[in-house]
Amino acid sequence: MNLILVGISHRSAPVEIRERMNIHESRLSAALDDLMARDGIREALILSTCNRVDLAAAGEEGAETESPLRRFLTDYHRYDPTAHEQHLYWYRDADVVRHLFRVACSLDSMIVGEPQILGQFKQAYLTAREAGALSGTLRDVSEQALAVGRRVRRETGLGTSAVSVSYAAVELARKIFGTLRGKTIFILGAGKMSELAARHLVSSGASSILVSNRTYERARELAAAFSGTAVPFESVLTQLQRADIVISSTGSPDFIVTRAAAEHLLAERKQRPMFFVDIAVPRDIDPAVNELDNAFVYDIDDLEQVVKENLAERQREAVRAEKIVEEELERTLRRLASRELAPTIVALEQRLESIRRAEIERYRGRLGALTPEQRESVEALTRGMLNKILHGPITEMKSRAGGPEHSALVNLVRRMFGVND
Amino acid sequence: MLLWIALGLYGVGILLTLPSVASRRPALPRPALIALCSGLALHAAWLILDAKRLGRLPVTDVHSAISFFAFDLTLAFLIIYLRYRLVWLGLFMLPFVFLLALAAALQAGPSFDSPSFRGGWVAVHVAAMFLGYTGFFITFAAAAMYLLQERQLKSKHARPLYQRLPSLEVCDLLYYRSLVFGNIFLAIGLITGFVWASRTWSGSWQYDPKILATVVTWLIYLVLFSARASGTWPGRRSAYGAIFGFAAVMVTFLGVSFLSGQHGFLPTP
Repeated sequence: MNLILVGISHRSAPVEIRERMNIHESRLSAALDDLMARDGIREALILSTCNRVDLAAAGEEGAETESPLRRFLTDYHRYDPTAHEQHLYWYRDADVVRHLFRVACSLDSMIVGEPQILGQFKQAYLTAREAGALSGTLRDVSEQALAVGRRVRRETGLGTSAVSVSYAAVELARKIFGTLRGKTIFILGAGKMSELAARHLVSSGASSILVSNRTYERARELAAAFSGTAVPFESVLTQLQRADIVISSTGSPDFIVTRAAAEHLLAERKQRPMFFVDIAVPRDIDPAVNELDNAFVYDIDDLEQVVKENLAERQREAVRAEKIVEEELERTLRRLASRELAPTIVALEQRLESIRRAEIERYRGRLGALTPEQRESVEALTRGMLNKILHGPITEMKSRAGGPEHSALVNLVRRMFGVND
Repeated sequence: MLLWIALGLYGVGILLTLPSVASRRPALPRPALIALCSGLALHAAWLILDAKRLGRLPVTDVHSAISFFAFDLTLAFLIIYLRYRLVWLGLFMLPFVFLLALAAALQAGPSFDSPSFRGGWVAVHVAAMFLGYTGFFITFAAAAMYLLQERQLKSKHARPLYQRLPSLEVCDLLYYRSLVFGNIFLAIGLITGFVWASRTWSGSWQYDPKILATVVTWLIYLVLFSARASGTWPGRRSAYGAIFGFAAVMVTFLGVSFLSGQHGFLPTP
């Protein structure tokens, strides 16, 4: 295994450095070809998103891989070693595998658990494969990283809960209404924040939008943007019963929906639930409305509290995800190492077999004419001895696979049996 | 013996279901589904063998009635699971199924035979009653899930349950559909029961405690139905109503059976 990775990410560099290192999608396969053409590089993978650029490569056995990567950076990005070195991180072998696993699981993302990275990783893998840049160890490691990413997504809650206020509102709405398809949203007071929340709800399937604002013109504009209907501010209370979800952010000093008004609304709606998202300060919806059955009121503090709790949960889930990464890492390293052992084992066996044949040949004259049974016995005897001799070293090498002193042990065994290539 | 194996498989299925209720996996693990399905198949085989032996549905004594009910519930759970993927429903239904099946297996003895229990009317009557009760049990489970989720949402904290429970709307949909289903079958059960009783029983059978209790139970559910259909009751009251209604079902189904002469699962004198 001769893996190397150099990268830059939101952790190591500000955006003005990252954007210089970014490799655009359209130039990705050319960049891979460039990388592959360099001495000692056998495989390559490039992951380039707005938050990170990772260049991973597998080198020929024993080849020096750092300087070809450095030259690539210099040629490709007009990278200045003195100015940028501090922003780069370098990993080798097992650490490359761990890094790729963590990236695929979104553990290294700016917002831990954000779901896009797995798709971006998959795209990077497919591009590298199409460019013929993945053929051995790095291909296995990338495929394994994708599998680990899927496993973390499946088995942990990393990334399942909303960590922004407007998305938290969407998630709450889903817990009340199931699907948002066919639901009506009432935007009360046209502001930036309510527009954002409404946009999230619409992209989750909500279909009809009603907008009301103190200045009717502004309501008309916003309604047009969502192809909804503007409602005059005076008739809000009569129209509000059509809404499943109310997003409120007016500048009104008093409550617009009082408990009594909400009670009336719910009766009109035959007790179908209503969800009030009150992002106005001072508040528009009387908090006592939340005491009514089938009415759910969340003000800005409530939403922020939900986000905070979700973040705390993400942190806990991240710990579980790290454990999965370590577990998968160990398994992958062991598998890679034991597969890399195969040529050594074959060489050992061939070496001893050739000695055996030579010796039998040498003693053929002295043994005289043997019956077929006797010849069979000599073969079995010598072969058995070799297998017993080889058994110890092979088992030892296999059991140390993936461990720290493994390659030293393999080299020692090769030297002892004289199978250096 | 078959029933015990079926019971064991239900138990295995429940144990395998638990981790997916705790985690966020939206689906039952395959082994859990296999265990439940094969448990159900064995249970069905047991019912068929018993029916063959008796020449009718094995539902006329306490233990076989309970086992029939457990069978209905498991079947209903699997159907609903396949339709709505409600893993959580299993947490409410399966332990109850297990207890019912355990009670049935422990009590197993020869079912008595009585000429008055023969005939098409009684088979339709009994099967319809159990389908009705199955519907009401699902109404009960949907109501319980509704109450839990409602409390989570009102508390304004993202507690762990909140992510895992179905949405209020799904609970309500399940509530309403199972309520309608239960009411229809209970009505069929009552009517066929009346027809059959008026033909076979003499005396004032109308005052049999079990019949009275069943009529009362049905009235409770009719009230629940009309409240939900007209939208006059808020969600929480309906949910509490369904829990109360199911308590009435249990009283009718088990409690009164031991008091009723004609109808309790005792041989008629």
